[in-house]
Amino acid sequence: MAKHATPMLDQLESGPWPSFVSDIKQEAANRAANPKGLDYQIPVDCPDDLLGVLELSYNDGETHWKHGGIVGVFGYGGGVIGRYCDQPEQFPGVAHFHTVRLNQPAGKYYTTDFLRQLCDIWDLRGSGLTNMHGATGDIVLLGTTTPQLEEIFWEVTHDLNNDLGGSGSNLRTPAACLGESRCQYACYDTQACSYNLTMEYQDELHRPAFPYKFKFKFDGCPNGCVAAMARSDFSVVGTWKDSIKIDQEAVAAYVAGEFKPNAGAHSGKDWGAFDIEAEVINRCPSAAMKWEGGKLAIDRSECVRCMHCINTMPRALRIGDERGASILCGAKAPILDGAQMSSLVVPFVEAKDDFDEIKEVVENIWDWWMEEGKNRERLGETMRRLSLQKLLEVVGQEPTARNVQEPRHNPYIFFKEEEVPGGWDRDINEYRKRHQR
Amino acid sequence: MEEAKNIIVEFIESKSKSKSKFYFNDFLPLFPDMKPREVKKILSALVKEEVMEYWSSGSTTMYGLKGAGKQAAAEHEE
Amino acid sequence: MAFISSGYNPAKPMEGRITDIGPREFTEFLPPVIKANKGKWAYHEILEPGVLVHVGESGDKVFTVRVGAARLMSVTHIREICEIADKHCDGYLRFTTRNNVEFMTDSEDKLAALKEDLASRKFDGGSNKFPVGGTGAGISNIVHTQGWIHCHTPATDASGPVKAVMDTVFSDFQDHRLPAPVRIALACCLNMCGAVHCSDIGIVGIHRKPPMIDHEWTDQLCEIPLAVASCPTAAVRPTKVELDGKKVNTIAIKNERCMYCGNCYTMCPALPISDGEGDGVVIMVGGKVSNRISEPKFSKVVVAYIPNETPRWPTLTKDIKKIVDLYAEHANKYERIGDWIERIGWEKFFELTGFEFSHHLIDDFRDHAYYTWRQTTQFKF
Repeated sequence: MAKHATPMLDQLESGPWPSFVSDIKQEAANRAANPKGLDYQIPVDCPDDLLGVLELSYNDGETHWKHGGIVGVFGYGGGVIGRYCDQPEQFPGVAHFHTVRLNQPAGKYYTTDFLRQLCDIWDLRGSGLTNMHGATGDIVLLGTTTPQLEEIFWEVTHDLNNDLGGSGSNLRTPAACLGESRCQYACYDTQACSYNLTMEYQDELHRPAFPYKFKFKFDGCPNGCVAAMARSDFSVVGTWKDSIKIDQEAVAAYVAGEFKPNAGAHSGKDWGAFDIEAEVINRCPSAAMKWEGGKLAIDRSECVRCMHCINTMPRALRIGDERGASILCGAKAPILDGAQMSSLVVPFVEAKDDFDEIKEVVENIWDWWMEEGKNRERLGETMRRLSLQKLLEVVGQEPTARNVQEPRHNPYIFFKEEEVPGGWDRDINEYRKRHQR
Repeated sequence: MEEAKNIIVEFIESKSKSKSKFYFNDFLPLFPDMKPREVKKILSALVKEEVMEYWSSGSTTMYGLKGAGKQAAAEHEE
Repeated sequence: MAFISSGYNPAKPMEGRITDIGPREFTEFLPPVIKANKGKWAYHEILEPGVLVHVGESGDKVFTVRVGAARLMSVTHIREICEIADKHCDGYLRFTTRNNVEFMTDSEDKLAALKEDLASRKFDGGSNKFPVGGTGAGISNIVHTQGWIHCHTPATDASGPVKAVMDTVFSDFQDHRLPAPVRIALACCLNMCGAVHCSDIGIVGIHRKPPMIDHEWTDQLCEIPLAVASCPTAAVRPTKVELDGKKVNTIAIKNERCMYCGNCYTMCPALPISDGEGDGVVIMVGGKVSNRISEPKFSKVVVAYIPNETPRWPTLTKDIKKIVDLYAEHANKYERIGDWIERIGWEKFFELTGFEFSHHLIDDFRDHAYYTWRQTTQFKF
């Protein structure tokens, strides 16, 4: 028998999509039954109370959570988000219900051993409820009490050999697409890059000292599966410099209908026979392709590497061999001045070995932003306030036409004094020799 | 280092009438000759010594003296 | 309950403490066939919705079955995922950026049994535990935020509307009939910790009333200068009011400057912002992240307000279904929703959907606004 009647939430149990309500009920029942005979360290019925407080929100259309800013583990400024219920008498099981973020492995592969160990810790010391995963990429452990935080941290670091993720004005937990592990489009090892930089910048991840949050995301190619360009202050997106590799026989096989275009992604509708002219050549955004006499040609110097032809004929076309990444900076959600996409800063880095080239760019940006950024200002906003050319100067990138969509719309150019012959100090008396007052 | 720690603590105490929490940037003017990362080291040390603590809004983080301020009372943690 | 110590000694927090170790090194978790072919994959194919094969240059194959999941997941459910992965996948699995779970196997023989097993598992309430799908030109899982389940400033729930929307578009999770992928995202307030601003369809919770001010408690619960500093539009200022004959320090809010972000409530619990009547959601469309064919784009608001119709948000789901169906009917192959609307024009989009175009949909916020007004005589009657 459920602790609280939840007629509203019960209506979210039907329908085909996995029901989180059914899952929370399943956890409530499991904790009540306690098949392993655990001495639960936070209230056994917290999943029931979570459903209860959520039902209340479904009735009044308002949240019942308060924020807590102090809780955390000793010495870390991030990784724990304090939460208190504003109806603690009614729902004592969730009166204190803090979130713990754990740093997920790059690419989010797991062994069942690791996950079971994690479940054991969270069964005993938390609500048994998680988010797999949070929006930034962390494993989110949803709901525990203050006295359990250090115990959880101890077991996570000692037994699971894993650390917390970021929150607040920290480097946030970096995230990568699955990259080379299972994708032929990956132009660099996104997982290795994410892991390497995460380890290098542990202090930044745990001890906040930035004006605001700072996110790294690593996409292996311009398809952008982890949304680096939309969601991270520092977006590393795989690219290449040489020609797309063409297997002409495989192209012919696509044209002959032997291979399914776009790897079978359009199988649910009859779009007619594959038409290479209409679907590939004419869709190339920079008109870099030709289909003549049964041969496909791509003009490397015109190609903007949008991925369309490769996505459409993956068995015939492969990314080039001179691989690396572009670095773009400044994406953020709309608060305050509107959403921003990342802007191109460094067109090409090699992105290999210890990723030193990338780290140098990161550190130059941090030194500048920590000094110049206003409180609660994302990098993208500092860039807007102080200009893209300033950021290019900071990272030592010569400005190129690649850095802009188009040149400036006004002649209000801020020349530096040293750029103007003779400087700004002029002799008024000399001037008056040539001009009357 | 000890001298720098005192400068920070004195700065916070001098403002205690109006507020108990400060952004990282608020401390930078106290040390005009230091790089931000060096200032961070002093603050991290003060946290480790339990003189200061973090306060996080979830999206941003502030620093204050441990236990100071009305938030600590509001969060009724012992 | 007896307190069980992990080994941590509160009197000496630094004793035996391990810090700054980061995540586990990812190669520990790679299935053998993935490890062996890393960086040497030749091509992939989607065999059917939700089922992929990746073929290595070595000729090795890995078959992946992608299943949808609620990102809010219990340890009981995770253990069931582990049981499946042990049975069919040698104890390995992965999660995707969009909260899907992927089960991988190196032989086609094991695939049928895996799919059958996944399809057979249902929650007590009747929903699928592991629906297969989320690939190709269809609708993948929704990325979203916490909502009423755990956040203090949401204007809507997250898990509930996501469940309601995914139920409504479920056939497109398991099909490839659309012209291109459709990515849906939900953020429960405009701070968008889910960053939904580049989604084909974005659902964003909005408040429509400035915070209330609990004058009696403001000075006791908050440090007023911090609340003042937290406001991005400088709408919050310190003031004094008379309460029962006593002057108290408190806060005043310039209502017309408030953008309802809730930042001040985070700093000051005496400024609650939630309001059952005022809160609800907007629908944004036409964003994308991929660089494929056209450049990445922001989503634009097409429905200015829908109330929170708990528990299943019928107006929201009806409007989203309408957008998806019209897109399926009218767009060209490979066109994302944003590409399609740009081709036909926004006036046609509003004509097709029947959505009301009200003054709320004309941008009036700072610099960006001007660039969204029409500065040409080219438009459609």
